[in-house]
Amino acid sequence: MPKLFIFISKRLVQMALLFIIFLTILFFLLDAQPGDLSQQYIGNPDIPPEEKARLAERLGLDQPLWGRYLAYMRNFFTGDFGNSLSQYPTSVTHLIGQALPRTLALFLLATLLAYYLGFITGKVLAWRRGKFTEYALTVGGVGLYTVFYPWFALIMIWFFGFGLRQWTGFRIFPIGKFIDVSDWTGAAYTTNQVFIAMIVVATLSMLAALVITWAARRWLDPRYAVRVRNYAFLAGAIFPFLYFWFSPMRPFAWDILHHTFLPVMTLSAVSFAGIMLLTRGAMLETLREDYILTARAKGLPEKVIRDRHAARNALLPVVTSLVLALAFVIGGGIITETIFAWPGLGLLLYHAVILEDIPLAMGALSIIAVLALVGHLVADILYAYLDPRIRY
Amino acid sequence: MTEPADLQEPAAVGLDLADTAGGGFVPPEPLWRIRLRLFLKALRRNWGLFVQNKIGVTGLVVIVLFALMGILHPVLMGRVWEPAIYDPVRGYDAPTKDWLVVEEVQDPDSEMDLATARLMSNPFVKVGSIVSIPQQPAPPSGKHLLGTDPLGRDILSQLMYSTRAAFAMGAIAALTATLIATTVGSFAAYYPGWVDTGLMRFADLILLVPLIPILIVVGALFTLTLPLLGILIGVLSGFGGTAIVLKSQALQVKVKPFIDAARVSGGSNRHIIFRHIIPNVMPLSFLYMMFTVTEAIALEATLSFLGLMNIQMSWGIMIHVANNQGYLLSGMTYWWLLFPSGLAVTLLAGAFFLVGRAMDEVINPRLRAR
Amino acid sequence: MTNKPNETTQTTEVQPGDTLVEVKNLTMDYVVKEGRVSAVSDVSFTLKRGGSLGLVGESGCGKTSAALTLLRLQAENAEITHGEVLLGGLDLLKLSEEQMRRHRWSDVAMVFQGAMNAWNPVYRVGDQIREALDLHWPVKLSRAQARERIAELFALVGLPADDMDRYPHEFSGGMRQRATIAMALSCNPQLIIADEPTTALDVIVQDQILKELKTIQAELGMSMIYISHDIAVIAEVTDHTGVMYAGKIVEYADTGHVFATPRHPYSWLLLSSTPSITGPRRKLAPLVGEPPDLMKPPPGCRFHPRCPFATDQCRTDEPPMEEISEDRFAACWNHQQVPVGLSEAAGEEI
Repeated sequence: MPKLFIFISKRLVQMALLFIIFLTILFFLLDAQPGDLSQQYIGNPDIPPEEKARLAERLGLDQPLWGRYLAYMRNFFTGDFGNSLSQYPTSVTHLIGQALPRTLALFLLATLLAYYLGFITGKVLAWRRGKFTEYALTVGGVGLYTVFYPWFALIMIWFFGFGLRQWTGFRIFPIGKFIDVSDWTGAAYTTNQVFIAMIVVATLSMLAALVITWAARRWLDPRYAVRVRNYAFLAGAIFPFLYFWFSPMRPFAWDILHHTFLPVMTLSAVSFAGIMLLTRGAMLETLREDYILTARAKGLPEKVIRDRHAARNALLPVVTSLVLALAFVIGGGIITETIFAWPGLGLLLYHAVILEDIPLAMGALSIIAVLALVGHLVADILYAYLDPRIRY
Repeated sequence: MTEPADLQEPAAVGLDLADTAGGGFVPPEPLWRIRLRLFLKALRRNWGLFVQNKIGVTGLVVIVLFALMGILHPVLMGRVWEPAIYDPVRGYDAPTKDWLVVEEVQDPDSEMDLATARLMSNPFVKVGSIVSIPQQPAPPSGKHLLGTDPLGRDILSQLMYSTRAAFAMGAIAALTATLIATTVGSFAAYYPGWVDTGLMRFADLILLVPLIPILIVVGALFTLTLPLLGILIGVLSGFGGTAIVLKSQALQVKVKPFIDAARVSGGSNRHIIFRHIIPNVMPLSFLYMMFTVTEAIALEATLSFLGLMNIQMSWGIMIHVANNQGYLLSGMTYWWLLFPSGLAVTLLAGAFFLVGRAMDEVINPRLRAR
Repeated sequence: MTNKPNETTQTTEVQPGDTLVEVKNLTMDYVVKEGRVSAVSDVSFTLKRGGSLGLVGESGCGKTSAALTLLRLQAENAEITHGEVLLGGLDLLKLSEEQMRRHRWSDVAMVFQGAMNAWNPVYRVGDQIREALDLHWPVKLSRAQARERIAELFALVGLPADDMDRYPHEFSGGMRQRATIAMALSCNPQLIIADEPTTALDVIVQDQILKELKTIQAELGMSMIYISHDIAVIAEVTDHTGVMYAGKIVEYADTGHVFATPRHPYSWLLLSSTPSITGPRRKLAPLVGEPPDLMKPPPGCRFHPRCPFATDQCRTDEPPMEEISEDRFAACWNHQQVPVGLSEAAGEEI
């Protein structure tokens, strides 16, 4: 296992370097703007002149290129993005801090759902051959995968928001936004409190499940370890629901959850199709390998061969694709947020851009890049863990 | 007992051996013609393989249909359609619909109550009269096969006109990306050491950061016209994942014996890269070009939808106009504002993807279903 | 620990010297888009407990296909139209998949061609062997007991016990092959089929492994079937040899006899086309032509197009497998025409 840690540390350093290069490029992009940032403020009567002077100093606008670059880097790493222009005097950091958990929740839920369901479906479907299955899967899968995403999101809204109501009288999912404001009047909690509570509980219970699994694998027979792992994750998934059932936050938590369904479903649908096709392809390739024949010769039942041998190896290219899928999830997530009016980083970025609020836009973009980087790193580590050949 | 095949006399195949003694080998035909013949033969063979794949053929058919649509539009505009009404950007038409004014509305599709009628027409209408209200946007009818948009412009005309933008987008992005990726990949494979590491690290960086937020911010800082976006997408895709794939392909070509032969016979590095490595990497580049087109069409439509593009008309703009004025999120009534445009993007982008997939099976023999 | 109690369910433990394997008239076709390929045609052989049989022939002659039936692992598009495959008296072809699974590895194990890739790259070698033990060992083994057993197996094939915690890619070619053999031995099978066990190895390692296989076989009293196109390997380790051509067994006898005095034209040509380092210098008699297309095998004897001794009868009638002398079988109308011995057969000495 120590080789794994060396690998992780190396990757971490590489990522950090790449990120610094990225920030530098961003800086030059910003610097290339005609005029300086304080020009932006001249037209805006809300911003007092002291602020403009302070801003000029903070950004090092009176200094040569090198000085400005240092100021920029210093500002970034101390978390100082300045104040938002469109929501003056709120600081950019504060706005991002509010939006970040929501975006994280959306991304994580969508990714996990898409990968888990996509992998299982692809794994099971690989065992089914035959003309009709191949056609149906290709058409369905490719269709979902190549659909124009904003259009798809709007159609989802139409179907679930309007269509169902028109045909059945029920509106299952709310159309957009994060909460029904009317439900929250006079509430004892703020949205952030409830939301963060939900995230914390879910994360902790999943971590507990992971720890239990790790311990089981260490000390128990492999056969039992697998069973323990399945139960642990099941419990980990159910526990948050139980917790909130008995907590006074229940109606608020439900409201937030209710609003989360449609955006998450939409975002994960497209990834799901891609993963399913990829898994199926990888499984079909894996099944041709010699060790599958050996497994059969050993007398293992089909299910075991499929899950323990084929799927475990098919997992490798799928995890590799996680890296590419990240780009989609983040980009798609931004579009999802704009269409569903989900108040996360993506919507923040969009508004910043529309309103020409440069500090906010830069801040949001940087944090999004950090997210991408972390996701990338996680994917790399996961892959190294799964494929022993890569550590050496 | 079978005899080994008879060796033919050299003269029988047109080779005059006297020429080879001490001199150069003189081929019976000019070199360029031999190359052309081989190329056409390979093309025919690959085409045969390609058409076996129904998916690829479907994609190709869709692409051809769209191309036809794009070509047809200026013809229609000149002959059949009046520009004042049907121009995709500046046309205007608001067909009227007749409503019966009633006390109580029984049939909301053809009847209107008094208050609304007075509001929309003139304050003097009475119950029982027929009012003609101009519709904007208008649902599909004989005059406007796909209806009109919130600004009174014909949707079908817009749809056909935007095909041009889509193809242009795809072409610019794909060509730029392929050019860059092939060159980068081949050079990285051929010159190991810091050239390779530098290019690959740069590709890692490109892969790292997602495209859409970058484009959104760039769209804010600079005005994005179609060619600019195309080149931008081309550059960003070109240096990224595709370069890595093409580099590994170039590496495989590099170790083939004919490269050594070329070097031994005195080929310079540039000659080897451009005359040997790149042509052998081309099929794969061509393949990835298809995927770049898919990406480019979808990206342009997305950015137009978000209102960040500086073009007059494209499918994305169509959806943007409809959404901006709130027609899309109020219900399903204005379906003609959403379906044709979105479907067009999906179909064309998807078609290129399918063609790419089918080409993948031609180029990678392992993938062929046997 | 090394001896497991006899399974009283279906196959009985066959005593050394008694017949273990009996393949009778096995005929198998592959069904492909263009038609049917006659891959195995009327193949019969027997093997005693403790004995070793070699199946030798060119690529595509059906040796692997025939052997796979002993594990019922023939391809999905393979159809057995005729014949019996008996293991300890039990017809394997009549078993259900569930029943067959119980016999795999515990009664018949296989060392595959390309054994290099027989290992799943993501699991440790010890764990993969353990998998087989968990499935077939009559007693449930604890973690420690399983490790003990694997250590025993590793010692048998000459590997250090610690290697069981390594991943397959950490092994060299020869070591991986030994580990594959260890895995094959793990459940004390009565029969091991080795399909091209040394093809991918260099000559020195090849030699070591073959010697070890012979030793292990003698020690444990196992039967072995060796499949190879390399006649040198077969000559070294087997006591009986079956020469196969185009899906049929053309000659079957004691190994020494087959190599010294082949009676079938194909075996004779095969052996004559190989130069000998120690023998007299002689001109080589080449084997011309190619094996036939098995979708449309030639009428009569399948070898007749390439046979120097072919007569009209060979072109129309298929020769049956005849016992031409004690424990020697050949399928040829003109086996008497085949020169006796090799050194005179091949023609002028140089």
